[in-house]
Order: sequence, then structure tokens, then C-alpha cells
Amino acid sequence: MSAAVRSIDDALGGGLPAGRLTELVSAAPSGGGQTVLARLLAATRAARQRVALIDGADGFAPETVPGDMLRHIVWVRCSGPGQAFAAADILVRDGNYAVAVLDLRGCAERLLRRTPASVWYRLQRAAEGGSVAVLVQTQAPLVPAVPWRLSLAVPLPLSDAEAPREAVADRLVARVERSHSPAADLLAG
Amino acid sequence: MNYAVLSAPDFALHALRRSDPGLCGRPVALVAGEGRKARVTEVSPEARGIAPGLAAALAMSRCPGIVLRPREPAAEVEAHRLLLAAAFTLSPRVESTGAGRCTADLRGADPVRTEAAMRLRAAELAVAGLPVRIGAGATPLLASYAARCADPVLVVRDPAGFLSLLPLEFADPTPEQDGILRSWGIGTLGGLSALPKAEVGRRLGAEGVLLWERASGEATRVLRHVEPARSFAAEWDYEPPVESIEPLFFKLRRFAERIALELRGAGLVAERLSLTLLLEDGTDHRREFRLPEPGADVEGWLRVMGSHLGDVRTGARVAGVRLVAAPARPPQKQESLFDTGLRDPASFWENIARVAAIVGDERVGTPVPADTHRPDAFVMERPAEAVAPCAEAPVHPPCGPALRRFRPPWPVRVVCDAGAPTLLEGGRLEGRVSAARGPWRSAGDWWRPEAWAVEVWQVELAAGGVYQLACTAAGWSIEGMLD
Repeated sequence: MSAAVRSIDDALGGGLPAGRLTELVSAAPSGGGQTVLARLLAATRAARQRVALIDGADGFAPETVPGDMLRHIVWVRCSGPGQAFAAADILVRDGNYAVAVLDLRGCAERLLRRTPASVWYRLQRAAEGGSVAVLVQTQAPLVPAVPWRLSLAVPLPLSDAEAPREAVADRLVARVERSHSPAADLLAG
Repeated sequence: MNYAVLSAPDFALHALRRSDPGLCGRPVALVAGEGRKARVTEVSPEARGIAPGLAAALAMSRCPGIVLRPREPAAEVEAHRLLLAAAFTLSPRVESTGAGRCTADLRGADPVRTEAAMRLRAAELAVAGLPVRIGAGATPLLASYAARCADPVLVVRDPAGFLSLLPLEFADPTPEQDGILRSWGIGTLGGLSALPKAEVGRRLGAEGVLLWERASGEATRVLRHVEPARSFAAEWDYEPPVESIEPLFFKLRRFAERIALELRGAGLVAERLSLTLLLEDGTDHRREFRLPEPGADVEGWLRVMGSHLGDVRTGARVAGVRLVAAPARPPQKQESLFDTGLRDPASFWENIARVAAIVGDERVGTPVPADTHRPDAFVMERPAEAVAPCAEAPVHPPCGPALRRFRPPWPVRVVCDAGAPTLLEGGRLEGRVSAARGPWRSAGDWWRPEAWAVEVWQVELAAGGVYQLACTAAGWSIEGMLD
């Protein structure tokens, strides 16, 4: 599933892999994680596929995307990582979604670090063999043994505020932190 | 195949067992009478060596561990309603013939489909703890005979051949008639019905003619039809009150099985479920479940209720439970050729309900911007069944990084120079502002008590990061990050 962000699609060899977890780390403030999400929503909307947005810290702002780009979303407004993991465990197994986004940015790092590794393994097992591509957004590397980990380390400047979002997305730099693919290893240098 | 009889053998015993989870798999006997006169009336297969008519004391000595219980009228009413509900799925013309027995008029029904439906109902009722035998034949009497021999469904297509095997007792002869007929060498219904009716009448009188008609299965009667269920509700009082979820859930499953059958018989589905737990202290706990996908799926209902009940803590024991289903017509829809509907609608709506049980009903759905310029104004709506094609591209396509909101906004103290923010301090985020855009001022609802006015700035901090500030009557706050 294409994320409609050139650097991410290139790093992943075409887009988010189905049946796998992909971790996107927004290491820098204003690194572009939300812009990636907005572009992903636009791409899935154009393909008329459903997206489950499991929002760990309830940070999604619907007004930042056109109203028509929201019609395929099931937004779960969680109040912490516990709820987010429980909801993700259910929705990742549901075969009706093309993409599930588990957004843990804004959740207390203390709570996230306390998450047992078994929760992540369970989520990975749930995704495996299914058709849903799972994108986990974090502020720091978090998912153990994740097949793909990308990092957005360059902050966006205020001057980008007037640029078309597509152009902003094209300027994002996604660095491959972890990959099991030879192609991505090459890209990672 | 004009009539079908649904008969539940050992009805009172099965009604009792399906109402009490503690009786599953245990030897159980129903007793009537008190003290020394107490006698066993019905026995479960697990109670070996016990037969109806045995004294209760003897039964206890022969089968240690046997549970002796009197009949449970409330359980029998519930079980009989289940049986009627099953009959109404076969035909709208149903007679409540007796306890654990009903007769359906199948005239006009498709025989092949009806037989398949009867087998399905028999299997469903067995799962629901009420094994039944269903017999079908040309007359109610023939169907009744078939029900006595069915395992679990028997359709009589050759009445003469079928009757030739049945013993004379099926036609309820008087002892005197039985003696006479046996002296003639007649021991089956087929044997009696092979005799000329008039000759039997001449020798045995009018009573003999009636017996001949019963033996030939020709005796017919007018069914006394009952009305199908109009309200879809069930209620049970626990004695003693219960403290755990298991007996509650056991009972809810029984209710759901019956109500779902009643709805199916009426061609309806449930759109809402109302669950009431009546507590021992006189209060109650009520919860209404709006089913995301109207239907009559028992497992789906139980999952929706189970998600809720798993988290319920009551201040007193549960003395009763009531379940009411709000009926609705089944949703009729025809998607357009290219609509991308749900691959598995039942699972989709069930999972939405399960997630709603975790985060709250109002926190799951599809966001729809509200018709206002007020910041962060939207409503959560039920997700669409199908993802419609994209509308035309917006006149003003989105620009810049997307906003990620901090809910609630972070209060902050802002130092301004020439009206523009230059420094953030005293909050979760501090730092010098290196660039700022704004202000964007908006206001609305001035004619209402909840009038609002806001001034928005976008600032870039020298340490990195672009944030959106809002200045309202309550002061400055950081609304979120442009990310």
C-alpha cells in the first residue's frame, strides 16, 4: 500500500507491506509524521480502502484534511497506550481494513516503555498472514523485532506552511533504521 | 406434509436443565410429591438405574450424587416459548398443543425447504438445550405419531407403511378395546386400519369408529392458532442472587437464542438490545446496546453484551436480569456496481462494538467536520457501509504540514513583541520563537452562551519544531504541533 510519500515508498520498496508492522519514528519535532498520515489517508481514500486510525493520544485533527478524505476512516480516540493496544489487537485482525495506523506519539514514554514485548509480538502475529498493513508511529524506537523501522529526523520549517502538502511530503527524509530487505539495506547504506 | 408436530420429550426436565448451568452433565431427576410420597417423574440419561415412578429416597440410594428437583414453571414457560418460536419459523399458523408440544400448519409451504428448515431447527434447539422430535404428516395426528418416532425429524410420505409398524397403543384404545382387538390378532395400527371401517363400527360401536380413525391417522381437527410474539423480551429472577458473570451469561445466551428465533419467525431483526440487571438492593443497572449491524445473530449479541459485562461492577448481587430486543425490518440495500463494501460486515460491526466497549461509544467512528469555523469542531458518525468514490478535488487543497493536536491544549505564557509571539515560557514547552505566522482571528456563536473567539499563530521555535498557538479569553495555549 503506497504511503504517497516518496521517501517512504522508496525505502519500503513500493509502500507499506501488508501483513507486517512498519515503525515510523518521528525523532524530531515537526518531523512530518502527521503529514505522512495525511498523505496515507489521501492515498487510501483514492483507492477506496478502509483505514483504522488507532490514536493513542487522541491527536488527530480532522480539520487538517479535506472532509472527503475522512470518509474511509475508523478513528479510535484512545486515552493511553493500554486502550490503543487493546483496540489495535482487535482491528488488526479485522479483514476489512487495508491499513491500520497505531499512533503512539504523544503517549507517555514511561508507559510505552513498560509495555511488555509480548504485546508487540502478539500484534505482529495478528498482522501476519493478513492483508492489513500496520503502521506504528512512535517518537522513539519502540517495537522489538519490527521488520521495518523508518525515522523522520529532519524537522520541517515554518516556511513549509504555505507549500502544497504534496510538496511538503516529497521533501520528507525517511531514513531506514532497520530492515530485513536487501534493497532497504542498500538504501540504508 | 400438511402438518408438523414439534415435541420435546422429557420437557420439564430439559426446561429445568437449560435454565441452570449447574445441572449440565449431572444425573438429574424431577420429583413430584413430598416426603415419602415423592416420586421420580422424569430422569436424565446420566441417572442410571433410575426410572420414572421410583420413590425419591430409592433414587438417591441407587444413584449417589443424583440431583432431585421439583419442576420449575418459569423455566418451562421459557422453554415452551422457545419451542413456539421455532415453530413460527416453519409456519405462521401454530398451535400450542401442550407443554413442550406444538403443531404447525404447513399447508402451502415448500416441502423440500420446510424439511430442511425442520432439520435445522431441531439442531438449533438441541444446541439450545431443548432436544425435540419433529414429525410431519398429512394430518395433525399422523404428524404426532411421526414426532413420537422421529430422530429428530421424520416426514411421513407413505402413511400405510408407516402405520403398519406402529403398535396399537399409539391410538389410545381403552383396555376393553385393546383386549378385543388383540383377541382378533390385531396389534398394530396398520392391522386395525386394514379392517373395513363400517365393520369395525358395527362390532365396536361409535367408539370403535373413532379408534379406527385414529389408527388410520385420518382423524383431523382444527388447530387453535396462537399469536406470534409481539414483544421480544425475556426476564429471569435468580434465587439466590448471583455474584459472577457466568450464570448471568448462561441465562443471556438462553434469552438470546429464544428472542433471535422469535425475531426470525417474524421476519425481523434487532436493532437495539436493552439489558437490565436487577440488583438485590432494589436498584438496577441498565445498558442499551445499539447494534452496529441490525440482525438476529446470537453470538454477535453475546459478544456485544459480553464486552460490556466484563467491565461491570455492581454494588449488590444480581437478583434478576431482563433482556429486551427492539425489532426492526432487516436492512435492505443495493450497492452500486463499483462500491467497495465490507468484506465481512458482521466482523466489522462486531469489532467496532468491541472497540467501543474499550474506549467508549462516542470515541469510535468516522469524523465529520462540523458546520462551523470553530477550531477542532467535528462529530463522530457511524462508519459507512461502502467507501464511496472520491468527490471532486477541493478548491483549496491542503497546504503545509498537518496539525497534530494536543488534547487538551497545553497552557503556556507567551511573550509578544509588536503583537507577535517571541518567547514561550511557563508551560510544558518553552523556548525562543524564531519565526511566526499569524494572526488568524475567528469568532462565532456570539448569540449563544458558548460564544467563542480565538486568535491563532503558528510559530517555529529556535530549538526546532513548529507549533500552533491559540489565544482565547482564557489565555494562551499550544493547540498542537505542525508535523
